This record gives sequence, C-alpha cells and structure tokens, in this order.
Amino acid sequence: MINSSPLLRMEGVSKRYGGVRALEKASLEIWPGRIHCILGENGAGKSTLIKLIAGVVAPDEGHILLDGKAVSFASPAAANEAGIVCIFQELSLIPDLSVADNIMISDPPTRAGMIDRKQQRICAEEALAQAGAEDIHPLALVKDLPLSRRQMVEIAKALARKPRILILDEATSALTAADVTKIFAVLKRLRSDGMALLYISHRMHEIAELADECTVFRNGQKIETYKAGSKTNTEVVELMIGREYKNVFPPKPVKKSDTKLPTLQIINLSWTDRLRDISLSVQRGEIIGLGGLDGQGQRDLLLALFGVLRGCSGQVLIDGAAVKINSPTMAKSENIGMALIPEDRKTEGLMLPMSVRDNLSFAALHRISKGGIVDSAREQKLTQEMINLLAIKTANVDLAVGSLSGGNQQKVVIAKWLMNKPRIILLNDPTRGIDVGTKQELYVLLRKLADEGAAIIFYSTDYDELIGCCDRVLVLYDGKVTRELVGAEITERVLIASALNIDMEKVVHA
Amino acid sequence: MNAILDSQIFRLLRRFDPAVTTAFGCILLLLVVGGTYSSNFLSPEYLLQQLKVASFLGIIATGMMMIILLGQIDLSVPWVVTVGAMMSCAVVGHGTVGAILAIPFGILCGVAIGLVNGFGVAYLRIPSMIITLATNAVAQGLMVVYTGGFSPQDSASPAMRYLATGFVIPGLPNSVVCWAIVGALAVFLLTRTTFGRAIYGIGNRERAAYLSGINTRRIVMTAFGISGGLAALGGVLLAGYASKAAQSMGDAYLLPAIAAVVLGGTSILGGRGSYLGTVAGVMLITLLQSILSVMQMPEFGRQIIYGVVIIAMLLLYGREKLQR
Repeated sequence: MINSSPLLRMEGVSKRYGGVRALEKASLEIWPGRIHCILGENGAGKSTLIKLIAGVVAPDEGHILLDGKAVSFASPAAANEAGIVCIFQELSLIPDLSVADNIMISDPPTRAGMIDRKQQRICAEEALAQAGAEDIHPLALVKDLPLSRRQMVEIAKALARKPRILILDEATSALTAADVTKIFAVLKRLRSDGMALLYISHRMHEIAELADECTVFRNGQKIETYKAGSKTNTEVVELMIGREYKNVFPPKPVKKSDTKLPTLQIINLSWTDRLRDISLSVQRGEIIGLGGLDGQGQRDLLLALFGVLRGCSGQVLIDGAAVKINSPTMAKSENIGMALIPEDRKTEGLMLPMSVRDNLSFAALHRISKGGIVDSAREQKLTQEMINLLAIKTANVDLAVGSLSGGNQQKVVIAKWLMNKPRIILLNDPTRGIDVGTKQELYVLLRKLADEGAAIIFYSTDYDELIGCCDRVLVLYDGKVTRELVGAEITERVLIASALNIDMEKVVHA
Repeated sequence: MNAILDSQIFRLLRRFDPAVTTAFGCILLLLVVGGTYSSNFLSPEYLLQQLKVASFLGIIATGMMMIILLGQIDLSVPWVVTVGAMMSCAVVGHGTVGAILAIPFGILCGVAIGLVNGFGVAYLRIPSMIITLATNAVAQGLMVVYTGGFSPQDSASPAMRYLATGFVIPGLPNSVVCWAIVGALAVFLLTRTTFGRAIYGIGNRERAAYLSGINTRRIVMTAFGISGGLAALGGVLLAGYASKAAQSMGDAYLLPAIAAVVLGGTSILGGRGSYLGTVAGVMLITLLQSILSVMQMPEFGRQIIYGVVIIAMLLLYGREKLQR
C-alpha cells in the first residue's frame, strides 16, 4: 500500500499546564499502514501528545491536520467521530455490564429507540473476532473476566468504532505473554489493512518487534524520528537522556563503613502480587533511592512500610528489633519515628481549606498538647520554627494552605512531618509539580536531615534526583528489586537500562 | 509584630463568616416581621420562652454538628431522643436509686446507640446514612416492644423536671443553662482539643488525616457516641419538660437539627463550620417555627418551608464551591 501523504500531521503543537511546559512545538507525522512508536522517560510529554490527538485537551498553539485539513477536536467523542480511537492504560469498562454492552456503549444499534440486543451481540462478536478474542462470550459480565481478558475487550471496543488511527498507551502492561502475542498479530494485521497505529510502551522488546518508525520525546520536545532498527538500544537510551547536568545537588558525604545496626531493615516483604520478596536496609544518615518505571511497586512499598496496606508478609526491623506496623498512628509513634511524605499533596498530604497552622501541627498534635488540649503558645512556636526552617512563604499562618503556591504547599507537607522529628523519612515522589528553586532547597534539606541522623527512603520518577541525592538506588521492576546501584554506579544510562529491565551488557558495551 | 496584628485582623474577619452573618441577619428580620405582626412577639417573656424551646433543639443540633463536620449524617436522632426520654423515665419507676440514675441512664442509652452507629461507619464502612437510618428503626422497634405501642405510664423524675423547667439562675430556665454548658463544652472541644482538630481534618480530607497518623476510626466512633448522648440528653430534657415520654416525640427534631447546622454555615460536605453558626441556625429555626405557628401555618406548610430553606442554603454553598 503506497501513500504519498501522512494521515495525521502535527505542526508546532505546544501545551502548557500552568507554568509547566508539557509539550513544546512538537511535530509528528502518522502514516497509514505503519506502526509508530513513541519513546520517552516519565514526564517527557508522551501522554500530553496522546491527549492532544485524542481530543482530551486542546493545544495552546500549533495545528493538527487530518488528511491535510486542520482539525480541532472539542472532545474525545469528536476525535472518535473523525476516526481516532485511543486505548488507555486504565480500563474504561463498566464491570456490571456485559461484554457486548461495553463494546457498543457509545453507539449501540437501536430499533424504534430501544437497543437492538440481537444486532448489538452480532456487532460485538465481530469486534471480538477482529481483536482475536473469539473465546470471550459477548453476554458475559465484564466483572467476571480476568484482567487480561478485559484488556482484550477494551481493544475490541476500540475496534468496534472502526478507527483510522488507533492509539495504544501502555495497553499491554496488564496482559499475559500469550495475550501480548495475540494482540501483536492483530496489530500487524490492522497495519496491513492500512490502519495507522500509534504505540506507546516502555518495553523495548515490544517496540523492537512492532515499530516501523519511532519518535523520541524528552522534556516536552520532540528529539528525533528514526526508522525502526536503525539505532541500537544504547543510542535510543542516550536520546532519551541527553540532558545537561546542573549542579543543583549538595555534595554526598564519603561513604562510611556499614558496621552499625541498620535503622530500618526489611526482609522478604511481600504484598499481593505488587510487592515480591523485597529486602533492604537503611543506615542512619543514608539516603536510599527507589528507581524504576512508574508503578513498579515503589509506592506500595512505602505505603506498606507506613502501615497502610493490609496483609503484608515479611519482616520489618527497627534498630534490629522486629516490629509490626499496622497503622500510620503506630508508624509515627515515638519508638518507630517514621514519616511518610505522600505522593499527592492535595488529597493525601494536606487539608487544603484548613489553615497553614492547622496543617503544620496536624501530624504532631500529640507533641503540642497535654491531655488532649492543644497548647496554643507551643503550637505557635513550633509552627513558626518550621516556617523559618523551610522558608515557607505565607502572609500568615491563618491562611488556607490551599492558597499557597505548589512549592510552598509541598514544603508544608514536609514541615508537618519534620515537626515530629522523625528518624525514618519515606518520600513518595516529593518534587512532582514544584519549581526548580524549591526542588533545590529540598535536596539540601534532605542531605541535612540525613547528616543529622535520619534514614531516608526516597522514591522519585526523576532520574536526575536519584543520581544527585542518593547514596544507593534500588531499581524495582514488577514489584521486585532487580538491581542495587551504589555510588558511582548510579548513572542515568544504567538507571534507565535497569528500569526497562534490558540486558545490561548490551547497553554498556554495545 | 506586624504578622501578629495581621493574624488578629484575620481571625476577626474569620469570625464574620458570611453564612453566620446571614443567619443572624435573618433572625433580626424574623423578629422585625414578628414584631409588626404582633407586639407580644418582642416581649422579654416571649423571647425567653423561645430561648427555652430553642435549647432542646440546640443540644440535639450540637451532636448533629459534630457528625456533619465529619462529613457524615446522623439520621437516628428521632428515636435516640425518644429512647433517652423513655429509658430515663423507665428507670424512675425503680425507687430512689432509679430516680438518681434516671438522667445518666437515659444519656448512656443514647451513647450506646451512637457507638453502634460509629462502629458501623468507622469499622464496617457502612455509609452513615444507611446505618443511622437502620439503628433508628431498631430503636423504634425496641421502644414499641417496651411500651406495647402506647404512651408509657412512667413519668419523669423531679430532677428531670427541674433540669428542664427549674431556675438555678433567676429568670433563666435551666434548659437554657444546660444548652449553654453543652455549647461551651462543644466550642472548647472543637477549637482547643486535638479531638476537635481531628474532626475538622477528617471532614476535610479523611485520607490525609489518616496518613497523618490520626486514629480516624476512633475519632469517628467517639463523635457518633457524643451525638447519640446529646440526642438522648435532649430527650431527657423533653421528658422533664412534658413530665413524661411519648411515642415519636423525637420525630420533630431530625430535620430542624440538620437545618440548623446547615443554616449556620457548616458545610454539609464536612470540615467547615463554627459553633456560633449552629447557635444562630437553632435560633433561626425556632423563630421560624414560632412565627409560622403564630400565623397559624398548618404543619404541612412548615415542612415545605424547612425543606425549601435547606435546599436554598445548599445551593448557596454549592455555588461557593464552584467558584473555587
């Protein structure tokens, strides 16, 4: 099949969220009959790109041309109408409806205003057959299907809309190997039928198998488009990195010998299928990084340590003594002294309408009260100390914390825990969505806390931070620690390679 | 220095919560309307009588406010009020010991039902709307079994009567004094204690409160216990006021209690509201009821007006949320 013009073309498309550039003057061509893979680190602008094409968000500038004509989609439904269908990582199925109901949900066949069930079932069967999932009964309820089958239904649902451009965003992450093989066969068939496919995945071997062409994004910018197979893994990884280093991190101390008892030690911690036999230990004064792709169990590990998850197995030792932490209340108690800086400050870290003071003292109420009665003078003193320590910018402590800037809100989240004088500090991606200046202040603060004797576990989706801040980095993949990097071993190239679980030798020596 | 001054000005401004101001404005308006309708309306005797009537609702609404601050609701109020009244009167029948134990026993029964509600909400994760409605039905059933469906013959103890109708402070009915004490305790609890902070915290964002190491379940359960106890105290006082308990004597308090709390500016979604607002809401509701009955508005008319007033207030808050 020979086509002389691309099906969809993006020209100089930009998108900003507040002050953050998510995508900057990106251009891209999608051709019929080809599978186009998009590569990039977390936050490189891949999801924004997809959202723009699928009509979820509108571009700030630039054009999107479909068949050479400029289009602007008001909604995902409008994009569907134009033949662009997207399969997201998260499932969009309604569990209590049947497979057929789900597949035809946006436009069920009707007769006299009622849904024509017979026709619907036939349509659904066709779509399932097209997706290579004839074994799924169209009248089965979605909730009775295992996860991998649901993903197949999701794909059938997308195909039922007869797309010209099909976008798959990490669509295979929930699938078994057998299903992936099936899906790949389907995708290749769709390609030979002349459909344009946009494929996003972190799995290098999938890309190697499927892609006709690849585009690398980094920091919201398109870096390069190349023909599949024309670059080695090493070259690809280097394209994905390629940032200049800024000297924003405080110097790391010279490594001391590990003769002391670790402050925190975990042995074979497991939780459902999300965490598998994780063992690690953290010394006083040490900052341990958690690396890997987003969603490989790092968050679950921190929550498990903090006593939030039920049904964990394995052992946790504090100063060598086994403890069973079963609630945050216990985790923060005097003899454990743990603090968790949660991932989402708006829903987990702060009570936005409440004042800065109420938020600051909330986790340390037991320190500023006697017999359940709050000592206002002491509260005032301690909150002021924290505001000074972290240089939180607020006109006064009675302001609602929601009125502060993102960076200052994050400082409040951290300050509220420092008020407890924790010995073990768990950080769940604490620098997301805050400005560079505040980030730098946080790095310095973390090192200072470590120097004062805290044991710190630091999960970050930003590889630079792991390299700049951490004494050791544990890389997680699929709920397991796959690699431990110490000192000079922590480089972006090795981090990315281990995160993608590619063979190290190939990357280093290729 | 400047910061401290700023802070004081800010607190002063916060005291003028628009909802509270509106509520007090409405109270004045009602007084003016009532005054033009009948000159009796502004006499001290009449106003004191209103305050006395308001005190029963005030005590019940105090408990309701804590639950609403949590972002929950307590629909078991009607029969917890009745249980408090009936159980205290029932104990009176058992001699001197009974007479002494009457008031604490009535309250304790209410606390017990409240704790069941709290356990269901906090530990079993049943929506409060469901569990409180269920315990209300169970309490009703138990009371019907106990009384056989008729008005119970037991009468209130002298202490109960004194608490509801006597005068410790000349000119000020004891029930009003009770409300003042309950109110003062509630203000203290909500503004000065870790328990109060936790209530506001949970109401704003339960997950954040939990991750801050607050024992959210215990707080929720305790709050429901307090709410049950206060509703039963309201029932005890009502029994003292009427000298005896009666079937479904608490039915008239559910909607007014919720309305009073919401009219006073407490967010129905939880996390925001001041006790002063609830006081204003209680007075507003009481005056509204009084004027409607002076104007000989039939019962159905009153119900319609309450409902409409609550909807209007909720619309007002909904709009405020959208602006943010």
